[in-house]
Amino acid sequence: MPAFPSVEWFNAVRERYNTDQTLHSGGGGPCEATAALCIGDSVYLLEFEGFECAEIREIARDDIDQADFFLDMPMPEWIDMINNIQENGAADLDHTLSTIDLELEDGLPRAPGDDQYRRDLFYRYNQNFQDFFDASAGIATTIGPVD
Amino acid sequence: MTQASRVKKLTDSVAHIEISPPRLQWMGHSRQWGTRVKKGEHGLRLGDLNVGIYGEIPQHWEDQSRRPRGAADLPGMPPLPYHLRSKHQIWADSAADLYEEAIQHRWIPATDIPWSELSALPDDVERAMCQVLTELMQAANAELESITYWQEQMSYGYHEVKQFLAVAALTCARHIDAFRKRCLANGGGLGLESRGRMNRAILESRGGWTEAVVYIYLLRGFYIQNQYRLLLAHAHNAAEREIFANCLADHSRHMSYALDHLKYAITQQDGQAAVIQTLLSLGESTLARDIREPVQRSALAVVFGGGVEGGRQEGMATWHTMVRQSIHDYLDACEWLGIKRNMIQRRLNALLPPDEQLVPPERG
Amino acid sequence: MNDAPDLELDTAWMERMGEWGTTAQPGKRGLTLEDIRIGRYGELPEESDNMSGRPRGAAERPEAFRIGGYTVRSKREIWLENATFLYEEALQRQWSSATDIPWETIEPLPDDLEEAECALCTFFNEVEFVAGDVPARWVANISPDFFEARNVLLAQVQDEARHMDVFRKRALANGGGLTRVTGATSGFVGSIDLSRDFTEMSSRMHVSGEGAVLSMFRMGELVGQNPAEKRMYRLCAQDEARHVAFGIMHLRYLHATAPDRHEEIEAYLDEAENLSLTGGTNPAGPQAETSEALAILLGGGKQHYDEGFRILLAIRKRQLKEYMQRVKSAGFGERFENGRSPVPGRIAALS
Repeated sequence: MPAFPSVEWFNAVRERYNTDQTLHSGGGGPCEATAALCIGDSVYLLEFEGFECAEIREIARDDIDQADFFLDMPMPEWIDMINNIQENGAADLDHTLSTIDLELEDGLPRAPGDDQYRRDLFYRYNQNFQDFFDASAGIATTIGPVD
Repeated sequence: MTQASRVKKLTDSVAHIEISPPRLQWMGHSRQWGTRVKKGEHGLRLGDLNVGIYGEIPQHWEDQSRRPRGAADLPGMPPLPYHLRSKHQIWADSAADLYEEAIQHRWIPATDIPWSELSALPDDVERAMCQVLTELMQAANAELESITYWQEQMSYGYHEVKQFLAVAALTCARHIDAFRKRCLANGGGLGLESRGRMNRAILESRGGWTEAVVYIYLLRGFYIQNQYRLLLAHAHNAAEREIFANCLADHSRHMSYALDHLKYAITQQDGQAAVIQTLLSLGESTLARDIREPVQRSALAVVFGGGVEGGRQEGMATWHTMVRQSIHDYLDACEWLGIKRNMIQRRLNALLPPDEQLVPPERG
Repeated sequence: MNDAPDLELDTAWMERMGEWGTTAQPGKRGLTLEDIRIGRYGELPEESDNMSGRPRGAAERPEAFRIGGYTVRSKREIWLENATFLYEEALQRQWSSATDIPWETIEPLPDDLEEAECALCTFFNEVEFVAGDVPARWVANISPDFFEARNVLLAQVQDEARHMDVFRKRALANGGGLTRVTGATSGFVGSIDLSRDFTEMSSRMHVSGEGAVLSMFRMGELVGQNPAEKRMYRLCAQDEARHVAFGIMHLRYLHATAPDRHEEIEAYLDEAENLSLTGGTNPAGPQAETSEALAILLGGGKQHYDEGFRILLAIRKRQLKEYMQRVKSAGFGERFENGRSPVPGRIAALS
């Protein structure tokens, strides 16, 4: 059973996202963006190409400018979101990425160099990222060590 | 827990700002409180919304603001240049359904066409196909330029038509996109540009949208439609079949709107049939010149005949059949609309087989 | 006079075609417009002399009629580097308001919330009318040599048609109905109508106007009372972000290629910032009627109006910050450092 967060866990989600067409909801067409997720001490780079999440790998924090934008939340909030998706089959209305984004004064996504064009990719492809995280509902998950 | 308390973090930085009480002057203006439209078998469709006051589509919509039909107005709104404010100028009962159909039947040239199925063709056939598509690209271009020219002048009292035409314009762009890709993906290129007679007539048709519809669809539409039909029948591979099948379906949808609109305009506006009749008398000659124009005619014949040699006899025979069908479709539509065309222009008449001509040939 | 058509097959045109031997190959994303930008077909003129409407790269015909009344014929006036990408993305990400919104999840709301939602939907109808009409007006004026950019605008016109459709559907689906128009589309948005230059229009509509509306759509995640509304706003926000991207990338191109127009663009931004973004006509601003409706929705009812309004102000602060970042991204960020722009001051006032 893969642990969140880990490359193994993200790859399990990726596999489901790429193969289960029911997860690609209306408005969630192809996506061309690279997102970084800062979770605890780790940074995971997710490359979306077309209808797939093509690659996931762990990178050093210094390499974060490889991403178009990155999402950085405290570990308990990541876990709260993942648990909510596990419990409900998809994020409920209080735990979508967009809701979390709006609850933060400066929003959730950040872009290297504060490039708003790259940051706007989070909004342009929002449904894809939500579909990706919602795909984790079908993945038996243990929560890894919390800092 | 209220939403507000959930986002307390968000509001900490503005907690010091004093909030004035709301005036709420915008409340209490719904003209039909209690409207609850439910979705049906095919979802919640635009036409489903036409209930009660929202379904009252007036003969004239004097409001030149951007007030949606059924909303309460705000006195003192300055007018915008919406010149088409009468229902007979743009309306078709089918517009809402055609809009939803167009949305549902959308296709994507990049990924819905099996491009890998393209295969090398003899040089003369490839050249002919590329030439045909270059001309069709310009026809689609004239259609979209005409639609977008008129679109902003159409009043929002008839939003269903504006919405349908918004999709129709993008559909034309999609056709251009698909044709260009086909031309540049199989060892060929683009052809010689159009002479542009009929395209000019369409773009210069600025007396009203109805008049533009007459030229784009009633007069030339069947000729374009029959080209798609024949190109579909003579497709060389799955990619071409998919392109022409989609274009035929799209164009037929545009024709449906056009004929529906013209029928409405003719039945609702005295003298409209006579105006259309005059327009056709002027336009038929232009269309006939375009049809007879050697470049597109020969290119079509080469495609239909499978090459230059086959094009001389079999290809030209198929071209004649296609033109004959286009003219009969046109005349049938005129009859359905109640527009007399028993004396079509001689150049168009001459494109019919001798025993089907409506006007005896002049002795020369 | 013989009217019978000449039956001879003419093949002279076969020697008068465009560049020959082109074989574009589909890539991972199918056969995109980018894939066919090869050889002469990929060469865009700095100034287009194409007045006959021929497809770019087609062979010229001296006797062709000059039927295109194109006023936008200079590449720098219209171009953006990712036009092909935005067009293909727009086609790929189309959605249907009839079938992609879970309308069955809408349930009756308290009257104040329903009326506020309907007021917002009525306002968005007005706004979408502008965003559909204005790009359509420009399409027929742009040389087809720049058809990639024109296609993005056509996709936008369709997007806006779907937006007005979805907001009308929502207004009529749950007991409220359309309310009273705000009139905002003859002020804030009216300046978009007035634009006589494409870049002027784009800076007003795509960057300041749609950027502000994008923030409002994103608020839908908090405003929406059920999955149908949240999805409606989310999908509209995705489209709107694409339109904003057009504006940023076009401004960026213009910034790089037309230094002689920098001051002119700065003047457009001055006007946008003074009249729309920071003034009373900003739909998310403190004076507008829509802001009252938003506050009721954000707070969860009239009784939580103050809380809702504070959320609105906080989001508005973000709206302004994001606008600043977009303008910086387009190359015009100096205005926020040298005191020219009122936006930093507005943000400070909200802090």
